[in-house]
Amino acid sequence: MSAVLDIKNLSVSLPRGGRNVAILDGLNLTVKAGEMLALVGESGSGKTIASLSVMGLLPKKAKREGEIWLGETNLLTLQEPAMRRVRGRDVGMVFQNPLAALNPSRTVASQIQEAWLVHKGGSTRAARARALELLGEVGIPDPAKRLDDYPHQFSGGMRQRVMIAMALACSPKLLIADEPTTGLDPLIARQIMALIARLRRELDMGVLFVTHDLSVVEEHADAVHVLYAGKSVEWGAAKAFFDHPRHPYSEALLGSVARVGQARLQNIPGNLPEPETRPPGCRFAPRCAYHQPQCDAAYPPALRDGGTAAACLFPLPLTDRITYAETLEKPTGRNFASQLEVRDLQVRYAGNSGWFGGKTKLPPSLSEIAFSLGRGECLGVVGESGSGKSTLGRAVLQMIPYEGHVLLNGEDFSPLRGAAKRTQRRRIQVVFQDPRESMNPRIKIGDIIAEPLRLKRGISRAEERRQVETLLGRVGLNKEMAALLPGGVSGGQAQRIAIARALAAEPELIVLDEPTSSLDVSTQAMLLNLLKDLALEQALSYILISHDFAVVSYMADRIAVLNAGRIVEMNDTAKLIRAPQHSYTAALIGAAPQLHRL
Amino acid sequence: MAFSTRVPAMSEQIATAGGMAAAPFARWLGWISQRSTLVTGLVISGLILFIGFAAPFLYHVDPYAIHPAHALEAPSWAFPFGTDELGRDELALLLSGGFATLVVALPAAILAFVVGVTYGLASGLAPAWVDRLMMRLLDAVLALPSLIILIFFASLVTLNNTSLILLLGFISWPGLARLVRNETLAQRGRDFVLAAEQMGAGRVYVARVHLLRVMAPVLVVNGTFMVGDSVFALSALSFLGLGVQPPQVSWGSLLESALDIIALDPWWLILPPGLLVFGSLLAASLTGQGLLQRWGNNR
Amino acid sequence: MIKMVTTRLASSTLTIFILVTMVFFMVHLTPGGPAYSILGQKATAASVANLNARLGLDQPLLKQYGIWWWHLAQGQLGYSYLLNRPVGQLLWQYELNTLVFYTVSIVVSTVLSILLGLVQGVYFGRWPAKIIGGLQLGFYALPAFFVAAMLVLWFSVDLPWLPASGITNLRLPSPTIASYAAHLVLPVTTITLLTVSSLSRYFGEAVHEELAKDYVRTARAKGVSFPAILFGHVLRNALRPLVTILGLSFPYIFTGGVIVESVFNYPGLGWLMWRSALSQDYPILIAIVLIIGILTVLGNLLADLVNGLLDPRASYE
Repeated sequence: MSAVLDIKNLSVSLPRGGRNVAILDGLNLTVKAGEMLALVGESGSGKTIASLSVMGLLPKKAKREGEIWLGETNLLTLQEPAMRRVRGRDVGMVFQNPLAALNPSRTVASQIQEAWLVHKGGSTRAARARALELLGEVGIPDPAKRLDDYPHQFSGGMRQRVMIAMALACSPKLLIADEPTTGLDPLIARQIMALIARLRRELDMGVLFVTHDLSVVEEHADAVHVLYAGKSVEWGAAKAFFDHPRHPYSEALLGSVARVGQARLQNIPGNLPEPETRPPGCRFAPRCAYHQPQCDAAYPPALRDGGTAAACLFPLPLTDRITYAETLEKPTGRNFASQLEVRDLQVRYAGNSGWFGGKTKLPPSLSEIAFSLGRGECLGVVGESGSGKSTLGRAVLQMIPYEGHVLLNGEDFSPLRGAAKRTQRRRIQVVFQDPRESMNPRIKIGDIIAEPLRLKRGISRAEERRQVETLLGRVGLNKEMAALLPGGVSGGQAQRIAIARALAAEPELIVLDEPTSSLDVSTQAMLLNLLKDLALEQALSYILISHDFAVVSYMADRIAVLNAGRIVEMNDTAKLIRAPQHSYTAALIGAAPQLHRL
Repeated sequence: MAFSTRVPAMSEQIATAGGMAAAPFARWLGWISQRSTLVTGLVISGLILFIGFAAPFLYHVDPYAIHPAHALEAPSWAFPFGTDELGRDELALLLSGGFATLVVALPAAILAFVVGVTYGLASGLAPAWVDRLMMRLLDAVLALPSLIILIFFASLVTLNNTSLILLLGFISWPGLARLVRNETLAQRGRDFVLAAEQMGAGRVYVARVHLLRVMAPVLVVNGTFMVGDSVFALSALSFLGLGVQPPQVSWGSLLESALDIIALDPWWLILPPGLLVFGSLLAASLTGQGLLQRWGNNR
Repeated sequence: MIKMVTTRLASSTLTIFILVTMVFFMVHLTPGGPAYSILGQKATAASVANLNARLGLDQPLLKQYGIWWWHLAQGQLGYSYLLNRPVGQLLWQYELNTLVFYTVSIVVSTVLSILLGLVQGVYFGRWPAKIIGGLQLGFYALPAFFVAAMLVLWFSVDLPWLPASGITNLRLPSPTIASYAAHLVLPVTTITLLTVSSLSRYFGEAVHEELAKDYVRTARAKGVSFPAILFGHVLRNALRPLVTILGLSFPYIFTGGVIVESVFNYPGLGWLMWRSALSQDYPILIAIVLIIGILTVLGNLLADLVNGLLDPRASYE
C-alpha cells in the first residue's frame, strides 16, 4: 500500500509573547491508503496544529518547517492558490462541532455542491446529483428530501455525516478528521466511527484521525501515533500498541480511560508543560512514574523492538500483555438507611406561550420516575442527550417545577415555601458540568467557597476563613488558592473548588451533573477518586448523572438507565452490567470502553 | 482619530525592533497605547468637567455684559473667543453655558442610570407575568425616538433646571432598563446563580452579590454613554429653543444664535460651542469604548 | 410564520394604542389644559372657559378620548387652530418632503455603510480598519446641529456652492429637479455622516465576527476562495443584524431629522413638529406622535419579518 501522506520532520512555531515558540517539534508520520492512523494527544499536545498544518489553515504568523508530502507534492512548497486547489480536492477535512462548522443560512445541498463545484466546475445539476449520491453514501435516510434542509434541521450525528459527505465530495485520497466524535452521544459516536472506518476501506482512502480519547479509536485504528507536548512519544501498528504500549505515557493514557467494570482508575499527576517551559530532556519525565535522572539530559531517541517505536530510555517490558486493573467486585444488595424518595415524578416543560398566556403542551420530559436513595449510596443515572437525566437532577434539586413527590428524610418538598424550602434545599447540593461556568468569574475562590457559610449566617470572619482552608485541604488544594479568581485555575482544580463549595453547605446528598465531561481524561480519574473518598468520610450520598457508562459503573452502587424520559432499567451495578435486561442498556454498555479488547 | 492610531503603531515598532528589549520607555508606551482610548477619553472628560465646573469661577467676566462697540469681533487679546452680536464676551458665555449644560445633564444621567438599572433588575427577576407587563410599558415608551418624546414633553411643561433634569432622566432610562433586564434574564439562569439559590440565596442576594458584579462592565460602559447622550439631548433641546431658557445661555443655544447670523461667517461663534458638545460626546464614547476594551468579554 | 406575523401585528397595535392613550392623557392633563396654551398671553379665566366650550374641551376626559378615536376612525386627525388647517392635510404635505429626504439618506447611508463595513471587517486589526474605526468614533460623537452648521458654513457661506435652506429655489418660475436635488445635498450629507458612523460599525463588527466562525474554516478547507467566502457565506449572515438595525433606526433617522430640518429650514415633518412644539399646537403634536409611533412599530415589524425571511432558523421558533 502506498503512502498517501508522508510528514517528514514537521516543526511548527507560533509567536507568543514576542518570541517564536515551537508548538510542534519534528513530527514524522505516514498514512497509507486504506488505513486509519490515530494521532493521539491531550489538548495542547500539538495534534490539531499538525492537522491544520497539512491543510495549510494555520494563522499567517505560524512558521512551518520540514516536508509534508501528499503523494508527489510537498505541500509546504505550494503558494496559496495552488494550496487552495489541494484543499477539498486531494484532502478532505472534518471538524469537531458540526453545527458551528456548517453555514446556518445555506442548505446542506448548496454547501456540498460548493465542495464539488469549486474544483470540478460544471453544472449545478451535476453537482446536486453528486450531493444526493454522497448523502446516501454517508447513511442519511431519505436523502432526496433532506437535500434542501438547513443544518439546524439535522441532529448532531446526522450533521456530522453531512460534514463527512462534504469532505468526500471530490473523492480525496486523504481524509483528516479532527475530533469528529467529541461531543456526540456514545452510540452515535460509534456509528460515525464505523462509517469512517467503512469509507476508508471502500474508497481506499487514507484517514488521519486526530483525537484525545484512545478508547474511540481502539476498534478501528490501523496505526497509532502518540504526541506529548509537541513531540512524538510512541508510534506504530495499532494492535501492537494496544497490546503492549512501550512508553510510560501511553500506558498512563490507556490506564486513565474509564472502562466498564474497572476497579481502579489511574491518574496522571501534574500538568502538560507550556510550550515555553518544556523540560530539555524527555518532556514527560517530570510526571513519569519510572523517571530516572538520565531522562532529563536529552530527548530520548526512538527505540524499536516490538510492534511500536517509543522515544523512551526505559521502555516498558514486552513480556506482559497490558491488563487493566482487576474487575471491580461491587457488592450487591447492600442495605442503606433510606434518605431520598422520589414518587411519580413528572416534568413537563411549557411550550411557547400563546397570545394570552396559554401554553402549548409539549410531551413530558420525564414521566413516572420513581426511585429511592439510601444514606451513603451512589445512584448512577445514565442516558443519552435528551433522555431527561439532567432534568431529573434539576427536579430533585428543586430547580424546576415538577409534578409528583420528592421526599428527603421523609419530608416532602412540595408544600414547602420560602425560608423553609430554602433550608431544606440546602441539604441537597449540586456540582455542574462546566466548573468555570458554575462560579462567578469576578468573585475570589475563597469567597466562592465561603458563600454557603455566609448564607447560613452566624459565623465570624475568622471562623469562616478557617473553614474555607479546611475545605480546600479536603479537596486537595492549598490555601493560597483562596485569593485567586476562577479564571486563574485549571479545569480540574475548578471542579474541586465546586465540590468544596458544595461541601461547605454540609449537604446530605450531592447531585453531580456530568462532573467530569468537561475535563481531560487524566484529570477525570483524580476527581472521581476524590468523590469516592469524600463519600466514605461522611456518608455522603450521590446522584451521579452521566452519559459515560464506564464512569458511572466505577462510581455507582446502583444504576438507573433513562431513555426518552422514562427509567428503562434500574438495578445494582454489578448485576446490571453482567446481565442487562433491556436492549437499550445492552447497547449503552456495548458502546462504552471495555476492559478487554475485542 | 490620529491620536488612537499613532501611539500604538509607535509602541509596536519599538517592541519588534530589538526583539523586545524591555526598555522602560517602551513598556510605558505600550501600557499607554493599550489604554490609549481610555486615557484619551478620561483626559477629555477631565477637560470638559474643568471647563464646565471650575473655569466659570476662575474667569471673572460677566457673560451678560454688553459691549455694542465691539459687537461681532473675531478673537483678540481683549476677547479671547471673540464677541457675539451683542458684544458679549464669547468665552464668558461659553463657560456660563457649560455650567448650565452640565449642571442639568449630569444629574439627569445619574437619575436615568439609577432608575434604569433598578427597573431592569426588578423586571428581570420578577415572575414572568410581571416582567411581561413591565416590558410592555417600556415598549410603549421606547416606541418613540427619544428626541421626539423630549420635544413633546418640553412643549408641555415649564422649563427650568429641575423639570429639565426630570425630563432628560425620564427619557433615557428605558433603553438601559431593557438592556439590564435582558442581561438579568440571561445571567440568572447561569450555573453560579443556580448554585447560589441551591445554597439558600434569595433574589435580592443574587442581584446584589452576583448579577451586579457580572453586569458591572456593561453597566459602567452604558453609563458613560448615557452621560454623553444626556449632554447631547440637552444641547439639542436648547438648540431648538426647548431646553435651557433665556436669559441663561447654554452650548446649544449659543450655536442656535450663531446659526441665525451664519451669513456673516461667524466661525468663532460656531466652532467653540459645537466642539465642546462634540468633545463631551467624544469623551463619553472614548471612555466607554476604552473600558469595553479593557474589560473585554470575561464574563 | 403566519402566526408570528399576526402575533407581532397584534402586539404592535397594542403598543401603539397604549402610546397614543398615554400621549392623549398627558396633553389634556397639563395644568390649564390645551386651551390655556393656545391662548397664551391672552388667557383669562373667561376666555379659557369660552375656548374650552368651543373646542369641546370641557367635556369629560374619557368622552373626549372616545371622540378623538371616533374622528380618527373617520380619517380626521384633528384641527390645528394655530395654523388654521386640518392636521391631516398638514401632515400629508410635510410628510412627502420628509419621505424624499429620508429615502435618499437611507439609501446612501446603507450603501456606504456596507462598503465601509466590509473593509473594516476584512481588514480587522490592520490599519485600514483602525482608520475607519477612528473615523467612526469621531463622527459618532459629532452633534447633528454642529455638523449641519459647519456644512452650511463651508458650503453655503464660504463657498457658495449649495443652498442653505428650504426645499427648492423659490425664485425659479417652476422648480426643477436640479433645484430640489441641490437643496437636498447638504441635509442628506449631514444625516449620512451621522448614520454611517454607527451603521458601518455594526456591519463591520458583524463581518468580523462571521469571519471568525467555524463555517468559514470549513469553507476554506473545501478550497473555496476568499471572495467566494465573503460574498457567498459571510454576507448573508452579516447582513441580518444590519437589517434589524435599519428597521430600528428607521424612526431614529427622524431624530436627527428634526434638528437637520430645523437648521436647513426644510419643510418636513420634523420641522413641523419643532414649530408645533414651540407654539404648543397640540393637535399636530398628538398626530405626529401617533405617526412616528406607527412608523417605529412598522419599522420593527419589517425588520423582524425580513429577518425571519433571511434566517432559516427563525421560522422554526
